[in-house]
Amino acid sequence: MVADPGSARTVRSSRRLNEPRPALVIATGSGIPRFVNRQPVALLREEWRVVDRWWTEEPIARRYFEVVLDSGQNVVVFRDEERSCWFTQRA
Amino acid sequence: MIACIAIPGFELRAALYRRPSLRLAPAALAPEEGSEPLLGPVTAAAEAVGVRPGMRLGEALATCPTLILVDPDPAAAEREWEGILRRLEDVGIAVDSAQPGTVFFETRGVERLYGGVESALRKALAAVGSVWDPCAGAADRRFAALAAANVARPGQILVVSDDAIRDFLAPLPLDLLPLAEPRQQELRELGVRRLGELAGLPGGAVAERLGPDGRRAWSLARGGERRRVRGRRPPAELVERLEFPEAVGQMLTLRRAFNVLLDRILARPERENRFVRKIAVVARLVGGGSWRRTATLRDATAERDRLRAALWPKFAELPAPVVELRIEIVELTEDTGQQLELVRAAGAELGVRLKEGLRQVRASTGSGSVNTVVEVAPWSRIPEARALFVPRDD
Repeated sequence: MVADPGSARTVRSSRRLNEPRPALVIATGSGIPRFVNRQPVALLREEWRVVDRWWTEEPIARRYFEVVLDSGQNVVVFRDEERSCWFTQRA
Repeated sequence: MIACIAIPGFELRAALYRRPSLRLAPAALAPEEGSEPLLGPVTAAAEAVGVRPGMRLGEALATCPTLILVDPDPAAAEREWEGILRRLEDVGIAVDSAQPGTVFFETRGVERLYGGVESALRKALAAVGSVWDPCAGAADRRFAALAAANVARPGQILVVSDDAIRDFLAPLPLDLLPLAEPRQQELRELGVRRLGELAGLPGGAVAERLGPDGRRAWSLARGGERRRVRGRRPPAELVERLEFPEAVGQMLTLRRAFNVLLDRILARPERENRFVRKIAVVARLVGGGSWRRTATLRDATAERDRLRAALWPKFAELPAPVVELRIEIVELTEDTGQQLELVRAAGAELGVRLKEGLRQVRASTGSGSVNTVVEVAPWSRIPEARALFVPRDD
């Protein structure tokens, strides 16, 4: 057995890639984004849901939208239905 | 003299180290996955209601329905045991660890330092720590010292002089001997229940009936050989770990993580170009237990592929999904001891240039700025669960 030397190197930990970032989204009554970070949505390209880990204490229920903004930017946003807030993320 | 410090039920104590409330409850070490369903060590509370170590699981649960089964945690046991050995070394004792929970040492080196055998043993018990309830024994022979430590009460010191060894061992039970249970049963059926009764038999007859193991047990029952105790070589201190955001059971993911850890540990500057003799892989499991396997290489090496070939097959024995994976270099060779290559392999030059480039990036942006992306679950529907950023400072 090797004791843990406890150096900064060994305690340094990995982190997740592509963590969701909070987004400012204004949506229609049916929950479809109209503005993302104050930019109008020009086109809704795709919509899907992810429901997972419902058997754990941290369930995931997300409604994803891939949209094209007026500026031409392609953005993926989702509404976290557990926390009732919006995030942006690369799909 | 040879001294022995024994900690009864060490694996259970280590598994309960972080759950001290269970020490007072009826608890027992659960059998390992895939092994015979027999209980390991048990707590005093379990013993008080009739549960015994080695009991069948079904029988134990029928005897005590509230019995708590504690998963073995070999990594915690190794860690705590290493801590104990180091504390003993810190007070000047050259330790020879027989197994987690049992350590031998020569008292000669520390007798003068602490003013006698008993004072040295008291110092050793204090170094281990009273929380572990260690017992100490000393004798001129190794087995007698072990027997004395097993007979002593927690915190007690039992010193057996050489001329009293036979008398001391005679009334002790057979289970102190390193003899398989069927062999012990065979002896009991023959009416041999005490070490003294075994020692009184003719050696040739015992060897004929029980084979070499029996002959060795007979020799131990008579006190055993006089053998020197050699202090261990201090272990290396190289560890690399990777914590997963969620439990991983996928072999592909584990293989990727394992490769990253292997690269990282081989790149550690503390290795100083020395070669690996013994390496261990440790996993913290989803249920709270742990798993550990070691590989000792006949030819020490620092080749990633050879180390991987030695360790990777052991992953097939993983009993549960993994929350954290760790690689430890346990022993390094002092010198290279291997023929170096005359012509560098294709691509080696590119690797050197890449390494130099990364070194320069790190020098300008600081440690932790260079990362490797490790795909841990590329099939996941949750985007942030697909890959990890693993810092790379080699």
